[in-house]
Amino acid sequence: MGTKAEPRVGVYICHCGINIAYKVDVEAVRDYAATLPHVVVARDYKFMCSNVGQEMIIEDIKKFNLNRVVVASCSPRMHEKTFRKACEKGGINPYLFQMASIREQVSWVHEDEKEATEKAKELVRAAVFRVIYHEPLERRFVDINPNVLVIGGGIAGMQAALEIADAGKTVYLVEREPSIGGHMAKFDKTFPTLDCAACIMTPKMVAVGQHENIKLFTNSVVESVEGFIGNFKVKICKKARFVDEDKCTGCGECAKVCPVSVPNEFEYGMNERKAIYRPFPQAVPNVFTISKLGESPCRNACPAGLNAHGYVKLIGEGKFEEAFKLIMERVVLPASLGRACPAFCEKECTRGEAGGPVHIRMLKRFAADWYYENKGTQPPFEVAEKKDKKVAVVGAGPAGLSCAFYLAKEGYQVTVFEREAEPGGMVRYAIPEYRVPKDVLAKDIEVIKNMGVEIKTGVCVGRDVTIDDIFKQGYDAVFLGIGAWKDRRLNVPGEDLEGVYTSIDFLKRVNTGERPDLGRKVAVIGGGNSAIDAARVAKRLGADVTIYYRRTRKEMPAFPEEVEAALEEGVKIEFLTTPVAFKGNGRVSKMELIRMELGEPDESGRRRPVPIEGSNYEVDVDSVILAIGQVPDSEVFAKFGIDLNRNGTVRVDPETLMTSREGVFAGGDAVTGPSTIVEAIGWGRRAAYYIAKYLEGANLKEVKPYDADRLPVVDKSQVFKRERFEVVERSKIKELPVEERIKGFAEVEQPFTEEEAVKEGSRCMDCAICCECKQCELACEAQAIRHDQRDEIIEVDVGSIIVATGFKTFDPTPLYRYGYRRFPEVYTSIEFERLNNAAGPTEGKIVMKNGKVPESVAIIHCVGSRDENYHRYCSRVCCMYSMKYAHLIREKTGAEVYEFYIDIRAPGKMYEEFYNRVQEEGTHFIRGKVAEVTDIAETPEEEGKLIVVVEDTLAGKVKRYPVDMVILSVALEPADGAEELARILGISQDQDGWFIELHPKLAPVSTASDGIFLAGCCQGPKDIPDTVAQASGAAAEALSLIMRGKVEIEAATSHIDPEVCVGCQQCREVCAYSAIDYDAGRGVCVVNEALCKGCGLCAATCPNKAVTLKHFKNEQILHELEGILL
Amino acid sequence: MSEKGFEPKIVGFLCYWCSYTAADLAGISRLKYPPNIRIIRVMCSSRVDPVFIIKALLDGADGVLVAGCKPGDCHYQKGNYYARRKVALTKKILESLGLEPERVMLSWVPASEAPKFAEVVKEFTERIRKLGPNPMKERVFV
Repeated sequence: MGTKAEPRVGVYICHCGINIAYKVDVEAVRDYAATLPHVVVARDYKFMCSNVGQEMIIEDIKKFNLNRVVVASCSPRMHEKTFRKACEKGGINPYLFQMASIREQVSWVHEDEKEATEKAKELVRAAVFRVIYHEPLERRFVDINPNVLVIGGGIAGMQAALEIADAGKTVYLVEREPSIGGHMAKFDKTFPTLDCAACIMTPKMVAVGQHENIKLFTNSVVESVEGFIGNFKVKICKKARFVDEDKCTGCGECAKVCPVSVPNEFEYGMNERKAIYRPFPQAVPNVFTISKLGESPCRNACPAGLNAHGYVKLIGEGKFEEAFKLIMERVVLPASLGRACPAFCEKECTRGEAGGPVHIRMLKRFAADWYYENKGTQPPFEVAEKKDKKVAVVGAGPAGLSCAFYLAKEGYQVTVFEREAEPGGMVRYAIPEYRVPKDVLAKDIEVIKNMGVEIKTGVCVGRDVTIDDIFKQGYDAVFLGIGAWKDRRLNVPGEDLEGVYTSIDFLKRVNTGERPDLGRKVAVIGGGNSAIDAARVAKRLGADVTIYYRRTRKEMPAFPEEVEAALEEGVKIEFLTTPVAFKGNGRVSKMELIRMELGEPDESGRRRPVPIEGSNYEVDVDSVILAIGQVPDSEVFAKFGIDLNRNGTVRVDPETLMTSREGVFAGGDAVTGPSTIVEAIGWGRRAAYYIAKYLEGANLKEVKPYDADRLPVVDKSQVFKRERFEVVERSKIKELPVEERIKGFAEVEQPFTEEEAVKEGSRCMDCAICCECKQCELACEAQAIRHDQRDEIIEVDVGSIIVATGFKTFDPTPLYRYGYRRFPEVYTSIEFERLNNAAGPTEGKIVMKNGKVPESVAIIHCVGSRDENYHRYCSRVCCMYSMKYAHLIREKTGAEVYEFYIDIRAPGKMYEEFYNRVQEEGTHFIRGKVAEVTDIAETPEEEGKLIVVVEDTLAGKVKRYPVDMVILSVALEPADGAEELARILGISQDQDGWFIELHPKLAPVSTASDGIFLAGCCQGPKDIPDTVAQASGAAAEALSLIMRGKVEIEAATSHIDPEVCVGCQQCREVCAYSAIDYDAGRGVCVVNEALCKGCGLCAATCPNKAVTLKHFKNEQILHELEGILL
Repeated sequence: MSEKGFEPKIVGFLCYWCSYTAADLAGISRLKYPPNIRIIRVMCSSRVDPVFIIKALLDGADGVLVAGCKPGDCHYQKGNYYARRKVALTKKILESLGLEPERVMLSWVPASEAPKFAEVVKEFTERIRKLGPNPMKERVFV
């Protein structure tokens, strides 16, 4: 039937029983419709959707030669498809039909019959006006992909998955927890039959785990869903569990050695679990999972990437050797670092907000000292097989030694060339003995030598040998770790006078045993760490020391704790002053200074000091130590083809640390200028990584970047949200008294004892949960631990989706009056479920926290349900499980049980009978909403009890019931993340957050999005039998879809008229589905109908009106409008 | 209707996925709202061409309601944002035609919020009632 033919419209007004007819005068509407243009026949009938109604349409089409149909009845959401089908049966295109909604939009929402009738007439008129402009559309079908995605692995998801898998179709079952099982796996008994939940549940779990047609994704979430019915593309994010599922045997040896304990979520925090865990012994898959949230802040803060969390934890467990090994994996010189590291880690330590940061540096010192004392200086690693490649390291400071050690660990032959007499670099020659004793450093270096590193001292590369010589000697790569040894000069008169030292020169002399005669008054110039070191050393040599610094305390680059120690020891500091001349006759005796003030910030961000004109003054001095910074002594290397920066630092590739000369790498102070030991060590290790790659012949631009596998840092604020931490004060460090200190060079800080170390280590809050101490790796015989595992995205294609994401229980903390979290003996129902479970924290014994069996228990119904302040709905299962508890408590303990209820709802098979049974067993039922639970006793009998205060509405009296234990029967709520999932799937939630079914009666498992079905509590609270029935229903819907093979999809797509299109492509820009292509040849846009979803945005956007949306064309909508406004 | 005084005529363009569903739910929940609104179904609020709004007002509607999914929830990803822009621009055009831009209202009505739908209709009807009849009616037809 073409569109050209004169329109012949049939109009049908439905009474919907009386749903429409009681407000709308259907006969009047019918009579009015008959008067409208092109209307050939108008009828009314009780149920247009019934067979008889549809037949009426079909017959009329034939009898009156109708080519358009309008039905005024319910919402098109309800029966548009029904009537389209009838039209088709009658022989006209189903799109030549229009519906007017006079039930949802008229009779159900308006009260005045006259007004309702008028409105119905207008809506019918609009529909008739519109339908005249309808055009036949070609119906489109797509194939149904037979795979099904099931989201949620509780009893609903498992049931649905099994039904579909048993029918021979593939199911992808996605569960976000590490095991399937859901809430039912937590229950002990089920009502009303009291059969054991585990006994009926675990066989199903095993069946799911072993089914050849079920692909199980646990610890996984659905990340995105694209496409439409029959053809969904799903991205599943398989979260890293850090355990190889295929290798893990579930033996549990790992959990025994794991040092980290956190509250056990499966037991609602009533006991603890390890960082590596399995939620419950019958888990499917029966494998362990590691909770690892990222990198702990301490570890992230370390410039060398040292796993502070790991070794602190190991020390807390008394595993000192393991701690030492973990330290040596990232740094060398641990005993020296344990004394002289500025401890960037401690500044980030989360414990800082709950008692002061953990003494991480002191613990490192403890581990290193312990190891040297008890195990000697053999490195804690197996030496790798020797490789034939040779590496030369220039400079035996922290950077060079670190680079050498980690290359030697890989089996490379490493020789370190050091120009001084002893190795150690700045640690030996610049850091004073009272901070790092020389014998401690010697042991640190011994470990490096024992790794196979050869150290040649007294060889100055650049003077004695050249880089070319080194390569000629057969070395394959060179690392320059020459440090920054050249003191800067002030360039003022008198700098060359006797008695004017530079700090490095001065410290080196003292560190090699010299005791220069400083005289009485010593001036130290500068504000950095070497100024402080020089000052404290001079103090120990008996001098009266003053530091002169040109800015203020705030700008001092020295570490605050060092400044503090210097002040304690009697060092004076003068700020905002700088020397302009040193005077004296051969030896310095006076220093002229000028006062400074702070001006604008300079490039370092600190305010630039500006001299105050005419403020010069003089002081008497016997010696001056210039400590105004150092630069690398690098000039000579420029001759070897190594580019330098203007400040003398070596220019390197910031990632690979290779210099401008092939095969020559550099790091540490030589590259950065003066920094810290730990930073230099970090550079050395990084260089070792790239040197090894270089020696393997890899292209350094293509290798995996150093530390690419490191995880992002954990958000500290989340740590406090996770659990409640008590404040534990930081241990005090014993220090030598000041008067002792300044007498000589004895170490200031005194070490921890073993007990102190363990105690301090156990203050760690486990920010990232897993500390990567790798103890599990050692314990796992199956070698299943994969700390380098990362989240993985898996894409699957499915034809339909079943959502079975369940519920969570209401948190009654806001209901202050019920005392949850205030009184230890107030439990939620799900907590009690675990308490009563043979596999739970008390192994099924119903006992109080003090271990005693309760003599009386109160169960409060409707906590959070049927309550205007929380949830208006009834959670449906609480009455029944509460009575189940009553039965079990009486059976196990004989305690008196009081059920406080509003109404008892027992509307299932054998439910009422169970209610009667529990009553007969002697449980007390008190009808009334509990006012409060209190511990304030009014009589001696109430002492030590929890008193439930309630108005007994049957007795009409307020009563008090003293009990030992209170159970709150809490409401069911939509699961966490339901909102996000609704967005991903494009399904709707009701006002309480439950997913909305297509129709509350007739389509209870479908959603408004075709091909997506609901099962279980995600659609609303229900018990296990209803859940299982709904799951089977959803499975049947999915299977029915699969068996159909094809499905009809939206025919109303957009179309672009190439005659009108000017190719501006605005439609392309706005299309969210990339459904519009630009045909450059013809200069016009073209719609790809397979991708078009029919929203019509392009049609409204096109400035030329070249785009039309079929079935929602401008003329169709405008005529509908005309029908309304006539 | 005229014996009760001025009864505005309001056209509502409702997106099928959220606001139209909310209107259905209002019916199912038997919520009551003024009968002045006539609903036209569109698949997405972004389909509402400014021409529809202007045509409605020129043809004598006293007010036009455009309702769609709430931001972030659009069934077609971001159509509602485009609707917001189109309505904002349309209001500017109305001003230049000498029509009160308050005669057009854009509202986000999620599928689950039937009470909000009823509320929006009530409010908008009241607003238009206060504004009085669409002056275009006389201007065009006189």
